[in-house]
Amino acid sequence: MVAIIDYGMGNVASVQKALNFLSIKSVITYDHDVIRNSKSILLPGVGSFFQGMQNLRERNLIDLLKEQVIEKQKPFIGICLGMQLIMERGNEPEVCAGLGWIKGEVPKFELLNLNVPHMGWNNIEIKNDTYYKNCKTKDFYFIHSYHVVPENKEDIAATVEYGFDVVASLQKKNIFATQFHPEKSQSAGLAILKTFFEKNA
Amino acid sequence: MLKVRIIPILTFNGFGLVKTKQFANPRMVGNPVQAAKVYNFRGVDELIFIDIFASEQKRKINLKLVADVIKECYMPVTIGGGIESLDDINNLLKIGADKVVIKTRALLDKQFINDAVTFYGSQCISIAVDAYLSSDGYKIFNKLNIDITVDKFIDGMIECNVGELVLNSVDNDGIMNGFEMDLISHVSKRTNLPIIVAGGGGDMTHYNRLFSETNTKSVGSASIFHFTKFTPLDIKNELKTIGIPVRIT
Repeated sequence: MVAIIDYGMGNVASVQKALNFLSIKSVITYDHDVIRNSKSILLPGVGSFFQGMQNLRERNLIDLLKEQVIEKQKPFIGICLGMQLIMERGNEPEVCAGLGWIKGEVPKFELLNLNVPHMGWNNIEIKNDTYYKNCKTKDFYFIHSYHVVPENKEDIAATVEYGFDVVASLQKKNIFATQFHPEKSQSAGLAILKTFFEKNA
Repeated sequence: MLKVRIIPILTFNGFGLVKTKQFANPRMVGNPVQAAKVYNFRGVDELIFIDIFASEQKRKINLKLVADVIKECYMPVTIGGGIESLDDINNLLKIGADKVVIKTRALLDKQFINDAVTFYGSQCISIAVDAYLSSDGYKIFNKLNIDITVDKFIDGMIECNVGELVLNSVDNDGIMNGFEMDLISHVSKRTNLPIIVAGGGGDMTHYNRLFSETNTKSVGSASIFHFTKFTPLDIKNELKTIGIPVRIT
């Protein structure tokens, strides 16, 4: 069973729809016991970094997620805001501490000649193909105004060109995350979720 | 490289899909769930679904129907029509909408747009800019007797940090005779926000001109898909011939 963390930050239904399509059992929850009993954890989310951390805190999920993901090494996948929150610091709308599982921060895009948000389909360059092996295409759907900058470059699983090489995906031990939305990226996105949960469900 | 987006726009009247001409004379064009299914099968980049009469008729969008539309979509979906509160937005996001598009409330209450952006983030708040050419330049079409220029409206929305503009030419809506290039150039010079341009696409030369003569990155269309043999893929193949990056699945 996959625990999709319900913390009031947008689009959990799409994620579950994708998992249903793949016949992967999941539950949308913030119940601590359900999360403890799950095989893996999915942190989705759209919205601001500050609000995301506040909502996790209000549901007493910060320590629980740390216990499950860092101490117990439960398989974890973060999507979009769910990837940004695992960093040490965010800046949306002001400087704010994150979950801090991966060293680095999340600044706003400063681009002169490109639209912000970075919105639409863009092709990624894969650095660590653990979960990308079954993708037939490399275009994924992005929608974000802030981007992740990890201190250790070996944590980067994929990048995407948007003015510079922007981090599109992270991987460190049991933690995997994407800035793009696999659940909105048609067959290539579904292939990632399938590969991840075949190993980790 | 970021690909341009070719986005079917489905406009709804509370019962079925309709297509207007110059924002009037809605003509029935089919069933929304069926249309969503076809576009998902074709792998379109994104889909916009708007209940264009909800605000005017003072009703809420049919959430059950929207849920059925979204169920068919494994790509991003933007929903609009009659959005008046943060709860309305939350109800749409909860059933799987990625973005919402707002017009009427944005004209009436800028603070609401500010609040929506603060709460749900810029990326999910799109604003419909329905522009027509008056003797005093481009203005926002509305049925509330609000007299506001496109420039003033857009500047207000930029201040609110919205995520995207859906720029629709009312004069060219449904006419299929080409895009309103002056309007598009004018608005894209004013902002760094992503803009989906709409209104006027009727054949491949229109899309070719749009992308070669302006810095448009996304286009929304309806009539061409309802009333001609052309599909989103045909537009992409056309754009490919002039070196525009497109996503072909």
